[in-house]
Amino acid sequence: MDPLDLHDTQKTAQFARTAKRILVIDDDVSVTMAIQAILIRHRYETVVASRAHAGIHTFRAAQFDVVLIDLFMPGMNGLDTITRIRGESVVPIIAMSGFRLRNSLDPDRDFLGLAKLRGATTSLRKPFSSPQLVAAIEHSLGLAQADEGALQ
Amino acid sequence: MTSKGTQAENLDHRRWIEGAGQLTGEAEVGRSSPERTRAVNEVGSAIAHQLNGPLTALRLYVGELRRHGGQFGVTAESQGQLQQLVEAAFQETERVCAMMRVIADSFEEPLCPETAAALGRDVITWWSRSGEARGRDPQDTSAVDALLTPREREVLGHISQGCSNKQGAVRMQIGPRTFESHRFRIMRKLGAKNGADLVRIVLGKRR
Repeated sequence: MDPLDLHDTQKTAQFARTAKRILVIDDDVSVTMAIQAILIRHRYETVVASRAHAGIHTFRAAQFDVVLIDLFMPGMNGLDTITRIRGESVVPIIAMSGFRLRNSLDPDRDFLGLAKLRGATTSLRKPFSSPQLVAAIEHSLGLAQADEGALQ
Repeated sequence: MTSKGTQAENLDHRRWIEGAGQLTGEAEVGRSSPERTRAVNEVGSAIAHQLNGPLTALRLYVGELRRHGGQFGVTAESQGQLQQLVEAAFQETERVCAMMRVIADSFEEPLCPETAAALGRDVITWWSRSGEARGRDPQDTSAVDALLTPREREVLGHISQGCSNKQGAVRMQIGPRTFESHRFRIMRKLGAKNGADLVRIVLGKRR
């Protein structure tokens, strides 16, 4: 049922030259800690930021393969953060949110849909499971590789 | 955050929603019901938003435990028992997460998502604060409190904890009418239009 078990993970890690780096921007520490715990087990290098501005700063300071962004944070909101990061990079962005508006069949009023319009690669609706988290990251990494292949 | 703490918070929130319902119900006699619905919706969606974080963390941890739980057991028997426990915890987590989605989907659109999120944070902050302050004097030294007499602050403290006029009066050992008149003066001093508005002001969101 799981798209990936530990055996596969170890195999992947063995063949990977360097661990992929993931940036997680979410003001909820319980979420970032849990994500970090899962991603470490799956051999990803994880860096967390608890504020949008700090996240953008961290993003500029180092190289990342995927960025996870919560849509609702104090200060700058997640949608603006996505716009900013998309403005400077083609890095895959995963938007995270628990909100989806009732009565909003219009995708413009669905926050996760809105995030995609701003340039998010894919989205994760909270509360998400660890297979969903890992699948979203692998999907994003796969897309990024496909893009690189297309450019070469 | 421990799961115990989260559970206590959930209970507190439920009590608080019930309290908010009482507040709006009592203070808004003859007032429009859409306003009341909106207030309840905003608080509800804010709480749904707040619970999503801890639930996400719980789901991730339990999912991971379930997948790798077998490695933790020493004997085959204890391993089997552990697997059963992990499986049960996992199923419960999935159930709560599914309920959470239904709850999050059942609220109307908040006036503004950022407002709802901020309001949700206020609810948590306020609860953890009032939890510490329970049984003591209201410790808030904000501008709101500066306007009020010590007695009114005490009344406001009970209102914030979701007390009805009757409940608050019993706690303070005064008549319900007296409690109500204190409440009325507080609302006038703070410019609250109704009970829900008062709660919003107490939570620090002014209109």
